[in-house]
Amino acid sequence: MATAFTPYSYIQCPCSDITPTDRRSGGSPTTPEPDDDDRAFDPRAPRSSFSLYPLEYLMYCEDCHQIRCPRCVAEEIVTYYCPNCLFECPVCVGPLAVTSVETKPDPNLLAAPDNSAAPLAGPYALTCSYCLWTSTEVGIQFDKPNGIHAQLAKLRNGGTTRLTAKERKERRKDPSYKAQPPPPDSQDLDHEAQFANLKAFYQGQLADPNTADAGLALLGDLGFSSPTSLSRIMSIYTGGSLLHDKKAKTRLGAMREALDPDEGLLVASLDESAAISKLRSEGLDGTASTAQLVGQPPNMVEPPLHGNERFLDTLRPVPHLLRTKRSKRCPVCRHIISKPESKVQTTRFRIRLVAGSYIPSISIRQLALSSGTGSGTSASGPAVPGAPLEPLKPAHFLLTFKNPIFETIKVTLGAPATTPGRFASRVTVLCPEFEVDANTDVWDEALKNNAERDRELRRRRGESVSANSGGISSANQLEVGKIWERGRNWVSIVVEVVPASLALAPGNPPLREDEDVLEIPMFVRVEWEAEMAGDEVGAAPSRSNSEAREKRELAYWCVLGVGRIRQR
Amino acid sequence: MSTSSTSSAPLPHRSVANIRTPSGAGQSGPSTPLRNISSSFSSPSSLRADDEIIIIEFGTRKLQVGFSGDAAPRGTIWFGPDQLRRAGDFRDWQLGYRYDWRSAAAGGSWARDYELWRYDVRSVDLGLVGDKVERALRDAFTKYMLIDSRPRRMVWVLPSSLPIPLLSAALDSVFTRFQPPTVSLLSSPLALAVGAGVRSALVVDLGWSETVVTSIYEYREVAAKRSIRGGRMLVEQTHNLLAKHLPQSAEGDADSQEHVLSFEECSDITSRLVWCKPHPTTGQEEEDAATRSATVRIPLTSWLSPTTLELPFDDLSEPCETAFFDTQYTLTSFDDDELPLHLLVYRSLLQLPLDVRATCMSRIIFTGGCSAVLGLRKRILDELSHLIQQRGWDPVRGKAVEKLLTNPKLQRPPAAARRSHNNPETAPPAQENVGEERDGVWHDHDHSAAPAASYMEPEPDPIEEQLKRGSGSGSGSGSDQRTSVRGELRVIESVGAWSGASLATHLKTMAVATIDREVWLQHGATGASKPSEVDHKVQRQSLGPGGLMRGSAAGGAWTLGVWGSV
Repeated sequence: MATAFTPYSYIQCPCSDITPTDRRSGGSPTTPEPDDDDRAFDPRAPRSSFSLYPLEYLMYCEDCHQIRCPRCVAEEIVTYYCPNCLFECPVCVGPLAVTSVETKPDPNLLAAPDNSAAPLAGPYALTCSYCLWTSTEVGIQFDKPNGIHAQLAKLRNGGTTRLTAKERKERRKDPSYKAQPPPPDSQDLDHEAQFANLKAFYQGQLADPNTADAGLALLGDLGFSSPTSLSRIMSIYTGGSLLHDKKAKTRLGAMREALDPDEGLLVASLDESAAISKLRSEGLDGTASTAQLVGQPPNMVEPPLHGNERFLDTLRPVPHLLRTKRSKRCPVCRHIISKPESKVQTTRFRIRLVAGSYIPSISIRQLALSSGTGSGTSASGPAVPGAPLEPLKPAHFLLTFKNPIFETIKVTLGAPATTPGRFASRVTVLCPEFEVDANTDVWDEALKNNAERDRELRRRRGESVSANSGGISSANQLEVGKIWERGRNWVSIVVEVVPASLALAPGNPPLREDEDVLEIPMFVRVEWEAEMAGDEVGAAPSRSNSEAREKRELAYWCVLGVGRIRQR
Repeated sequence: MSTSSTSSAPLPHRSVANIRTPSGAGQSGPSTPLRNISSSFSSPSSLRADDEIIIIEFGTRKLQVGFSGDAAPRGTIWFGPDQLRRAGDFRDWQLGYRYDWRSAAAGGSWARDYELWRYDVRSVDLGLVGDKVERALRDAFTKYMLIDSRPRRMVWVLPSSLPIPLLSAALDSVFTRFQPPTVSLLSSPLALAVGAGVRSALVVDLGWSETVVTSIYEYREVAAKRSIRGGRMLVEQTHNLLAKHLPQSAEGDADSQEHVLSFEECSDITSRLVWCKPHPTTGQEEEDAATRSATVRIPLTSWLSPTTLELPFDDLSEPCETAFFDTQYTLTSFDDDELPLHLLVYRSLLQLPLDVRATCMSRIIFTGGCSAVLGLRKRILDELSHLIQQRGWDPVRGKAVEKLLTNPKLQRPPAAARRSHNNPETAPPAQENVGEERDGVWHDHDHSAAPAASYMEPEPDPIEEQLKRGSGSGSGSGSDQRTSVRGELRVIESVGAWSGASLATHLKTMAVATIDREVWLQHGATGASKPSEVDHKVQRQSLGPGGLMRGSAAGGAWTLGVWGSV
């Protein structure tokens, strides 16, 4: 909080205007009364955090001429990749390396686990080089240094082996096992196995033709052996009189319940006194923090834990999540707006239409006027950049709009006179309408013939009082309707704010986080003329042949965070 | 509400489109429907590898997401204040940044930022709920599921008491942002029952905002009882316990509503340390006498200044005691919405018909976040069996009843014998199908009418018969001869609501309520018909193919199932 404040600007993607909740009429009594068009966007509303994006996050569809935010693009996966083919430490999320349990004083071990495996035989463990957690702490060791994932799936914490679902299935088929009916210890039934058993059981129940009504059983010969089509047909013909259930499988009527662990029924054991005494003796240090538990994948290899997952020795190495590279399409016209190289190693993009190269960027600086030292337009006045704003004292901010496209744009700004929220600061945009010149090549500008350049310069001077872009003369007073300063493809204008006082009436709730930041909602409308074909990528000169050109406009809300208001 | 809407429903909560067949299919023999199946649910041959169904389980504090057929969800998204930040706001990573929970908790929203919704929709910003759901899902899809944004069918697992506005907000958001062709709704108690392999169950959901006891009978929710004693209360109690042990701070008064510790910290300590004392009669105190003096050191960082508390370990069972049992009060002193858990379970069982009760009581499933409190499940069960022993299954209590029982002029068997007789643990419940409220008037079981009824033939159970027939014809292994357990208290494990739904979807069962995207976007929740209305329509339509077609041409009626209608 004490750190200096950096002004920022956020843009609201227009896609969030079409919120479906506005449509609902009778569904919710709590939706506010219908909002009129000139309702100002409230950056303080909790919902706004979901629709505001920094300019860098936004894309732009060239064909629809519309901003596209991460919420309104269609994504496709270009490639999957593994950021690190190993595991994460469950304690500190550092990467785990395979090391031999017999620690030999070999420094290469930690660095290159896979190569160092060759000289060393014997059991291996996963070790975190950061917090020194090893999987031996939870009793997990591996026979081989590779294929850790498969090995881990067969191991419980503590080192006991378990059968994977596949092995269970094979075992069930194996007649030698079937001959001797082993009453499976119900405690042995872990999540994955219970799920598999249940699945097998249900499938058996559903596929069993005898469980169906005898009268309909013959339909199975006609290709209706699928339980759902069977039930569907039954429901058509019987009119539902016999079948009172809402689940299709119960409509078969004869599916029984699972009766033993082999079918997925697991009777709970409720005696947790051992766990309690363990908790008693180990205290807080023996338990995993919430963050660590959240990082754990669902434990598939243990019987239901019911609270035992809190102990450190039930933590499991966390497999790294795969990542993806994604290409993005415009959801409306299906054009690709971003496409990365499919090779994992490269960070380049084949197509990337970022909004920053289509819509003007806004940068904010505080303007020091009062001193009159003439030190320049930079904010290096007496007001230290980032210093808190004095309440109830007018402050001035310089908004610089930089035009990235090769056409001259006309910008119209709209801002509510007072900021929404509990603390209403007054905002005045001194010059709400202006033009920003095209983003011509720097060399074009330099190589233009003199007459044109003179004309250009004159035009600029005509609008701004002093086109002497270097300094600020005493004549450079704040004037309503005048541009402060103008450059090749940028224009600066002044916004005057009178920050509200943050004094709270007694009994009001205290300031929320960031409520002292003065945020200005501003509606930006950008108009420009572009060539019809839509390939305005070429550096077209500003000279217009208006027949082949069409008018375009883009309008959106943005939020300017200009500074913190000093609290008393 | 859920009881009435589902119990009488014959068939078709689902849309007519699912059973739609082209005209003429009806008469032309049973071979045509196979060719003309229009529903994607229908035949096993339509199993497409790329057609993966996404299953989402909504909880108050977390969201679990995965593919159908998987044993466990791919990822879990917890709701928290950092989820409410703007994109590109990386202050969490800034050095020295600390979440200012005090100002965020002002105005009684101590825990609110950690929740997706509250059932009291008067104070809920529905648009925000939609936004939260969307962001959480987007995170999950990108981080855990690694899927692109092609439309996929979804199955939602929801608590059956979810208010329609919340459901509607979530549906709105998902239908517009993710374009799933259909969203099917499954109630989580049902999914839990499926995940436990039983058809009937008593699901005790020790959830975050409340504890719900749902009775499921033959895959139908027949009753639900709720109590506000849930995880939120437990964390509050933990906070109070910790605050009590803090050195007296400047603000002093411990009774004030202000929170002195952050929610995050209290929640963390709750999930790590809070445990539940065993039922006093089980008598484990003696052996623990040596360790009685054990203490726990708890470092606290969110207080005014970081400090370390040293608490007796036994004190850490207090929050659980107060939040769930409140044993210092008599059982009659509670409101209906704040019943202690054992009483809640007892009453839920008590209100069930005898037959249903016998089945349900041996299929108790504990679920929800608070079932992870060590010892809580056993405690509830012990208290429950204690209650049953004490009271039997007699809902009438009070002085008058005692007088009646002790009145020597009325010749009655001793009370103990009577209880044991009524107790389904000892008596076969099917024989006792007396129907306690046969004609709206209460009848004691040993009233003069009872013997007559007990001599009556039990109602034939078509399902049991079918099962018997199936096993008799040698359908499977001999395992079918085993009878299912009834009438004794038994707790079983479920693979969880998410996994249960995954199982059900994988087996291509049809969901109660399936909502079509187009229809929803047109009508919203107001388009949902009452379940009863749809039933009649479909019944009528199913009589002839013409009616069937008319129904589907009109878009098909659909319902929100147990979630009711507007």
